[in-house]
Amino acid sequence: MELLITSLSLFTLLAIIILIATRGRPMRFFTAFGDTLMNLWTNRGPLFWTALTVLLVLGFLFYFYTPPQSWVGKAQPIAFSHHLHSGVKNIQCEYCHPYVGRSIHPGLPPVEKCLHCHNYIIANHWEIRKEHNYYDTNTPTPWRKVNYLAEHVVFNHQRHIKKQVQCVECHGQIEKMDRIKGKHFYMGFCIKCHRERNANLDCWLACHS
Amino acid sequence: MDRRAFLKTAGMGSIAFAAGCSAKPEKTLYSLVKAPDDMVTGKEAWYAGTCRECPAGCGVLAKQREGRVIKLEGNPLHPVNRGTLCMRGQAALQAVYNPDRLLRPQLKTDEGWKEISFTEAEQLLGRKAAAAGKGNGRTRLMSEVVGAPMQALLTDLAYEWRTGDPVYFEPLSHESLRAAHRNVLGEDALPTYHLDQADLLVSFGADFLETWLSPVEYARRFKEMHAIDAGHKGIFVHLSPYQSLTAANADRWHCIRPDSEATLLKALIKYVLEKGDDRMLPGKLRKPLAEAVADADLDRAAAVAGIHPAALAHLADRLLTAERPLILGGGCGTAGASSDATEMAALLLNLVLDPQLSRIDFSRPQNLGKAASRTAVNALVDDLVAGQIQLLLIHNCNPVHTLSRGAEIARALDEGEGFTVCFSNFMDDTAAHADLVFPVQMALETWDAYDGKIGELSLSQPAMGKRHAMPAFGDVILKTAFRDPAAGDYQAWLLDWLGKQAGVNEMGTWIDAVQAGGLFRDAPPKPKSVSLQRGLSTALEALSEAKPPAATAADADTLTLATAPSIRFFDGRGANRSWLCEVPDPLTKVAWQSPVTLHPEAMNRIGVAQGDVVRLHSETADLEAPVYASEAIHPAMALMTMGQGHSAYGRYAEGVGGNPIALLTGDTSASGQPLTLAPLKAIAATGRRIKLAHTDGSRTQYGRKIAVSTTIGEDAAHGHAKGDGHAAGGHEAGLTMETFPLTLPLPEGYDRKRDIYPVHEHEGYRWGMIVDLDRCIGCGACATACYAENNIGIVGEERIIEGREMAWLRIERYLDPHDPSRITFFPLMCQHCDNAPCESVCPVYAPHHSKEGLNNQIYNRCIGTRFCAQNCPYKVRRFNWFEWQWPTPLEEQLNPNVTVRTKGVMEKCSFCIQRIKVAHGHAKDEDRRIHDGEIQPACVQTCPTGALVFGDLKDRQSRVRQMVKDPRAYQAMGYLNIKPAVIYLKKVLQEI
Repeated sequence: MELLITSLSLFTLLAIIILIATRGRPMRFFTAFGDTLMNLWTNRGPLFWTALTVLLVLGFLFYFYTPPQSWVGKAQPIAFSHHLHSGVKNIQCEYCHPYVGRSIHPGLPPVEKCLHCHNYIIANHWEIRKEHNYYDTNTPTPWRKVNYLAEHVVFNHQRHIKKQVQCVECHGQIEKMDRIKGKHFYMGFCIKCHRERNANLDCWLACHS
Repeated sequence: MDRRAFLKTAGMGSIAFAAGCSAKPEKTLYSLVKAPDDMVTGKEAWYAGTCRECPAGCGVLAKQREGRVIKLEGNPLHPVNRGTLCMRGQAALQAVYNPDRLLRPQLKTDEGWKEISFTEAEQLLGRKAAAAGKGNGRTRLMSEVVGAPMQALLTDLAYEWRTGDPVYFEPLSHESLRAAHRNVLGEDALPTYHLDQADLLVSFGADFLETWLSPVEYARRFKEMHAIDAGHKGIFVHLSPYQSLTAANADRWHCIRPDSEATLLKALIKYVLEKGDDRMLPGKLRKPLAEAVADADLDRAAAVAGIHPAALAHLADRLLTAERPLILGGGCGTAGASSDATEMAALLLNLVLDPQLSRIDFSRPQNLGKAASRTAVNALVDDLVAGQIQLLLIHNCNPVHTLSRGAEIARALDEGEGFTVCFSNFMDDTAAHADLVFPVQMALETWDAYDGKIGELSLSQPAMGKRHAMPAFGDVILKTAFRDPAAGDYQAWLLDWLGKQAGVNEMGTWIDAVQAGGLFRDAPPKPKSVSLQRGLSTALEALSEAKPPAATAADADTLTLATAPSIRFFDGRGANRSWLCEVPDPLTKVAWQSPVTLHPEAMNRIGVAQGDVVRLHSETADLEAPVYASEAIHPAMALMTMGQGHSAYGRYAEGVGGNPIALLTGDTSASGQPLTLAPLKAIAATGRRIKLAHTDGSRTQYGRKIAVSTTIGEDAAHGHAKGDGHAAGGHEAGLTMETFPLTLPLPEGYDRKRDIYPVHEHEGYRWGMIVDLDRCIGCGACATACYAENNIGIVGEERIIEGREMAWLRIERYLDPHDPSRITFFPLMCQHCDNAPCESVCPVYAPHHSKEGLNNQIYNRCIGTRFCAQNCPYKVRRFNWFEWQWPTPLEEQLNPNVTVRTKGVMEKCSFCIQRIKVAHGHAKDEDRRIHDGEIQPACVQTCPTGALVFGDLKDRQSRVRQMVKDPRAYQAMGYLNIKPAVIYLKKVLQEI
């Protein structure tokens, strides 16, 4: 994708330059090459700015969209991979988010829960040492929030789990993500599903309060 | 500007506005290090505890979310309050989360206050105690009344230091009442009065609905006796020089001359002794009593007190005909020179009427009875002033503010050589003059036991995560005073004490007690039989010597000042809770300020109008206060409530209102009862005027059908049209205010002759509320609970003057235009109308009619046109003119299930939708319908008298639907045909 965009952009830039240099008759590039060079030189200012703009835009796009971080979520204080835990090791979501079926919040695993396993598994890995550090210094882990919901909405996980809504239906293929990208949930997203499933559409009784 | 330019600018403006309207959500999620067993994020956990906002000691349940207590509710198992709370109990949370709470000990140095660590403070205290040395009262302790285990510890401490007993100082103590029981019955105690068993209740000033002994309990007991039941209700007559909230709830309030209660009571005793001779009064009482009241006379007493002789004669006859009469004496707010005689006469009148005293129960006396008499407190202050105290420990009391000698104490604390430690969580009036201020854990954070009624232990446990490092008071005492304490910390000490004294020896008993909130007996204890004291005749001398007040007050220029204890602030400890300041006084409806109430006659004499600031001048001090005009006060009186006017107590209390206690002389009666009536030397206008921050639009309802009252039998006699849609008052159903029928917010409430709007079909439920005006006492607990539950903003004095208060539930009080002493209290919240006028005018459809009949306000849809508030006939919609602030850490109290509203949106009562949703969740889990009574909105939950009932109007068996059939049922302004879902039951008046 990146290659395609880059080559198309550069090709277009080349085409523009040739069109300007040959005054709209591209075949003159071959028939009157000297004239072409003259024209190029006469229009060197505008051509320079055009080329610069295109290259800057390309650079910008590369800088922001091609690095690997842009396809995954925010860096977290501990390099935790949902892909590894949920996908490869196939640990159930409810093991770490135990309240999802009985409370509005799914709950975050306390540090001690991570250590239940990681006291035995790769206990001396540097990322696990960070974990130990949080535990020993009694510091809560400052995970960065990735899913956002407006403050005037109270989403109740319990009710959705009881209605057999799967985690993936809203959160996506978590088991394939190393770092979760997360999303902003908007009303349309909720309403669509509520309509399809004939669920509660009342303002206060369903979501707001 | 041409049209295009205007459109461009408007477009740019709205885009800029929309872009700027983004909330700043929390960006970090903190995980716990270790998860407590009983904490589920997003779900509340409940912990039982004890309210320590007044000495009554009600049981509370603390609702905890993620380690923070967000709401207090009454503990239904607790024998004192049985699940309800007053407004001060609700506001106890604002002490824990008070932004002005001290988090570290403060040591006074030459450069001002210096923060030190708790260890340093404890060491310093230990050094000072060692330096003070033992014996001869060199070390003294002044504390609020504490529970039995703490009393035992403090007594041990006094013994350890070889000093006098700790002085338990309560500003609102009842010395006269105790003295009467001591002298007549030999019981030095404050008993329980079974108001609920009486059929005639006569109070001579006891404000049992506000602060007297145990107000939540007495509110419940009072309504058991006084609410209408099968066409009967008990009679309550109140005689006092000014109308308190309690007096406003009486069937008849007689305004009497200040301090004339004893005269009236003596005359009544004489009358009953003479007429009611079939009663079994012991001979040894009859003779000396007859002698003591020999000079009394009903007519003369009526003349002295300034009430109509026929009214007094009628009351005397009532006493004789009543089957179960009960007389209550004076309250703390009406204690004049003859207060000892008043209490004794009230007790004797009870004895004469009922020699068994079957409605006065001494088996479980109030813990408040252990408070030191004012004489003892004064002796301590004398020692302090004389410089004899080397180390003074003050625990949770504020003598500088609550004693008229406050200025003297402050000077002694500042200049004296002794060292003073104030165990206070706030830099209050007294702490500001202490040498060391030592914050300790509050009742919601610590292990303790308190027996509001002696023998009935109510437990406290840490109901919240440990926010601060502060130790428990017991721990400090154990550490500093006992070098080698037998038990380690106070919790262990408490368990040890409970094992020895209360039989808590097994873990099971202990856990049961902690879960229930205390050690409560199943069966009520047997009433203790009382017998007369031997030396009764000497005690009666005091009664015979009681002189009527000099009959000059009314015509002279001098006024008598009464300082009434406040239902909002108690003795002043509530003044730094913003909810209590913001919820207006139940009678004046003035918030934040403390006006002086004057009779219009007195105002004419002085030449002032309401709002004028007057200067009160007494022998001891001067005070300026705005005038509030009221006809429900004796013309020779000026009334101020105590509690405000702190010189230091945090941002909500400092410089707010005035402190009338400073105007008192500080005199006590012979028994040590502090006198709260004081002659004013002068009262004069200052020429200044302020606007009173009152929340009422008017005092009367201008003849409209808002708060309606009836008399016994009236509605029943008129009868109803059949069914629920009955016509009010027995008229044929019509369209006028008088004839409009009760139209339920259900399909059957619609009539094609009247309605153009289509019927709302409700799915499953139609929520509605019944408000029984006959049960409402106007105490304001519901309004405060609503503030706590629904994150309602505090707007402050200025904004209230602008009419921008945010209360979702307010209590209107309407005076009868023919007799201003008759008051109807009228709780008013969103009526969730079926034809809601607010819904039809909103351009963006923000007020939305829910399928269960609720009128939803969608905050994020609201654009702030305020059309809805204009169209609402009840004025219950509140607009957020500003972003209200919750200074840290007050925001930790916010209910996470309720949106915090921002500037520019309308808000209003939701019937506690968050609680309805929780009930829906439980019902869905168990695949059933929501039970009747399962949902209790915060106001319904806390009402001490059960005046509010919530439920499903669609369910024909539900309690609300059954109550709709009551002949008293009507809808406030129902004649507008808006079909409100709040059905009121008329107040029942009776002529006495």
